Amino acid sequence: MAAYITGSGHYAPEQSISNEEIADRLGLEAEQIFKSSGIRRRRWAAKGTTTSSLAAEALKLALEDAGLKAEDVDYVLFGTMTPDRFIPGSSPAVQKTLGLREVPCLDIRATCCNALYGLQVARALVASGAARRVAVCLAEIQSAFLDLSPASGTISMLFGDGASALVVSDEKTDGALEILDVHLATDGTYVDDLGMRCPGTEFGTARSYSPAEHAEDFAARMVGQSVILQASRKIVAACQTVLERNGLQAADVRWMVPHQANANLLAQVARGLKFPTAEGGVISVLEDYGNTSSASMGIALDVLRRSNRIRPGERLLLPAFGAGFTWGAGLCAA
Amino acid sequence: MALPQGVTDYLNENAQNNGAQSPGPADDLFQAGVLDSFALVDFIGVLESETGIKVPDADVKAANFQTLEAIERYVETRRG
Repeated sequence: MAAYITGSGHYAPEQSISNEEIADRLGLEAEQIFKSSGIRRRRWAAKGTTTSSLAAEALKLALEDAGLKAEDVDYVLFGTMTPDRFIPGSSPAVQKTLGLREVPCLDIRATCCNALYGLQVARALVASGAARRVAVCLAEIQSAFLDLSPASGTISMLFGDGASALVVSDEKTDGALEILDVHLATDGTYVDDLGMRCPGTEFGTARSYSPAEHAEDFAARMVGQSVILQASRKIVAACQTVLERNGLQAADVRWMVPHQANANLLAQVARGLKFPTAEGGVISVLEDYGNTSSASMGIALDVLRRSNRIRPGERLLLPAFGAGFTWGAGLCAA
Repeated sequence: MALPQGVTDYLNENAQNNGAQSPGPADDLFQAGVLDSFALVDFIGVLESETGIKVPDADVKAANFQTLEAIERYVETRRG
């Protein structure tokens, strides 16, 4: 049975923070931030905002877009690295906030690939008949975890808060995108090159391992060069894999809707695939939203869908790369 | 073993585009402004096509391509 994205929505906190507002604190120049990332501003949530509350707003919009009501949802997936609580996951909070039925709620922790993992799982649920209308929620409040000092300047300049939601259904509706394929891969060799070590059982929790003495282990860590080098190659390879096994070439794809990591990386991937960029085929929302990790691909996809530029028969390629490292690419068709 | 002309031409052109000197055998290509992380990805593509070697993802790290001498050593290693 085929699975379709029949609705999408995105939501971001109101507070927009420009490069100029944070450059001094991060020990950087505002223009340097833009040149190295393509980011001019990002949204940061007010203190006390929960990640699930952003997701719930995005899901309301996605359900409205899909022409569905809250009670129509029969499965919730929630991808985030910045949950409301350590335990349980954030999907139960969305179930409660939106008054969904007592449906299964599953959190996914596949970092910046959460949208792809969510689509792969949702597609499998629909194909197996286990669910008919899956809500895929993708949200982050990363600002709460950022070290706004020069020591972490090149990391903290990148990240924003926001949410997106996709409704995956067994029914094809107007404007629906069929999920044709999702390819995913992982190499745990690079586990320390991107992520956050604590709290956890490997290093410790705040009770057993002092955050004051080991502040670097409680903060986001990124070996930028390793991320760029591996992402540039692995994303291109994943796209080629998913295209080849569907008998397609890059020229057969109209839209690339990538995880929004860094504008220079998106350009590198497009170059590696020989994907035509002149026709605005690579969708980027980086300039206004920054890197919203789990949420970013869904935000970009929702912006594209709501622009009414997708024509019947057009194909979309959805590449992503994240901590783990894990990476992959999805393929959809209008 | 000398690197193929296409490899050195690529690096010299990069250096010129970035306002840097053509690199000597022991010059650090990253410090000299000849390569950065993104340029290295493109360079590895050139290296693969000019030398016929395949660079596995695990070898894609700056240390293997820091200088012309290091690149020569790496190519020899891959050719076995």
